[in-house]
Amino acid sequence: MLDVGSIRRDFPILQRKMDGKRIVYLDSTATTQKPESVINAIAEFYRNYNANVHRSVYKLGWEATDCYEQARKNVADFIGVKSEEIVFTRNTTESLNLLSYSLEGKLKKGDRILISSMEHHSNILPWMRLEERGINLDYINLTPEGFLDIEDFKSKIKKETKIISITHQSNVLGTINDIDTLSKIAKENDSIFIVDGAQSIPHMPFKMINGIDYMAFSGHKMLGPLGIGVLYGKYENLSELPPFQRGGEMIKEVDFHKVEFEDPPIKFEAGTPNVEGAVGLSAAIDYLKKIGMENVRSHEKYLTRKALDSLSTLKNIQIYGPRDTEKRGGVISFNIRSEAIKRKIASGNIHLDGLLHSHDVASHLDESNVFVRSGHHCAQPLMKYLNIKGTARASFYIYNDIDDIEALVSGLEGIDVQ
Amino acid sequence: MYNDEIMDRYQNPYYFGKPERYSIVIDEASTSCGDKIILYIQEENGVIKQIKFEGDGCIISMVSTDLFCEKATGRNIEEIMRIDESDYVKNFPVEITPGRLNCALLPIRAFRRGVGRANIPGNLK
Ligand SMILES: Cc1ncc(COP(=O)(O)O)c(C=O)c1O
Repeated sequence: MLDVGSIRRDFPILQRKMDGKRIVYLDSTATTQKPESVINAIAEFYRNYNANVHRSVYKLGWEATDCYEQARKNVADFIGVKSEEIVFTRNTTESLNLLSYSLEGKLKKGDRILISSMEHHSNILPWMRLEERGINLDYINLTPEGFLDIEDFKSKIKKETKIISITHQSNVLGTINDIDTLSKIAKENDSIFIVDGAQSIPHMPFKMINGIDYMAFSGHKMLGPLGIGVLYGKYENLSELPPFQRGGEMIKEVDFHKVEFEDPPIKFEAGTPNVEGAVGLSAAIDYLKKIGMENVRSHEKYLTRKALDSLSTLKNIQIYGPRDTEKRGGVISFNIRSEAIKRKIASGNIHLDGLLHSHDVASHLDESNVFVRSGHHCAQPLMKYLNIKGTARASFYIYNDIDDIEALVSGLEGIDVQ
Repeated sequence: MYNDEIMDRYQNPYYFGKPERYSIVIDEASTSCGDKIILYIQEENGVIKQIKFEGDGCIISMVSTDLFCEKATGRNIEEIMRIDESDYVKNFPVEITPGRLNCALLPIRAFRRGVGRANIPGNLK
């Protein structure tokens, strides 16, 4: 059991009152709040260590470089890889775009890329971009419960399938995909296997497995600051990959018409990097390690169970995603059915789904300081797959507790859906 | 959820439907939430003789579209093109929080973009 009371005291923003009442933050899937220790680490960097990294001869420059490289090591240890295999980026989106651009040269017309129907736009659009060059993009179907359909997955792997890129945990359905199994199937086909870890690394214990070639995640979704992300790549892969952006820091030698690039990971970090971000992310990892990722995961399982149970008692709710908390994370998407207050008009080309619009649900909850996300959650293909326009979504982290779920449920009870 | 005026208009909009005669169609989807409206406008010499809509979306965007049609009926296109967004929101029958501005402004923005594309009198280029 986590001591949520004491955890909450570490987060200054959670002390805020709005309209005299506490805030119930249920949107950690979008971004997490930051503990004092992360905020302090960033301030401490600027107070004592700020200088440009990597190319300074003087002491302060080396101390700044040390902060940056220590942060890299902390990230590497956290997921069980080598420091040289950690590239700092802006976020998951940039990490996946880096791969799209740098892997492009390995692909030829007629090759295929396989992703799933539950991906975030940031694991769709970088690949869709390659369709313009004659690469085909395939989507794995889902089961009615919201799992990947493994048979469909197998059937869509062709010998032309050069890249398979899949989210570890869905930011809409909460589904946790069995990365171990998927990676083995991918490797039997010699496909490059990429994992979007934006929703898994922050929420569960994880050690890198051999079948993963690349993995992307974001600092801001794991208590760290905005603007720092991570791309893990196996060293031998990174070595042979061309750089994404070019400029300062990332070279060994530049001649008038010739350049020799640095070794990974610096080869992929053109320009002055986000050192405060790396330092903040490292402090976030320290905070998470102190709590223990096993405890983070079991707390979220506990909250998810409670939330699923009490939300299910609302008679007009439609909940999406698997029910088994062993196979899902702490993000719950739902809609409120409302035939009664739905417009009585039907019309030719407009599909009425009998659901309250998720923005109206979120606005209603907002009135009691319950903050949930609404809309398509950057997963429009998934929405189309589910044949809905959007969902309301509540998501949990270490600072959430039963009282937050109670606030959510009683807020929803306040919607008079006869 | 909202006051009666809003809920009533949402359930029983006055301007919903596809008229028999119209000279301009504006088909607009909101990028942020997938709401969709189609405005049917019967325009004569720069005057909106009739305007009706079809669509589906959140309560705010649908009510706003119905109110917009009410406001626009019988007025000059030019005048409607110049509606001040912040006035419009201020006079809305329920408070519009910053997160819902796009919903409330959907019909105005659709109208502006659509009329901007259709080359007709009163069009402010
Ligand atoms: C599964 C998943 N992938 C990728 C992203 C994109 O993360 P970022 O916006 O930090 O790049 C998100 C963020 O919501 C996500 O949930």
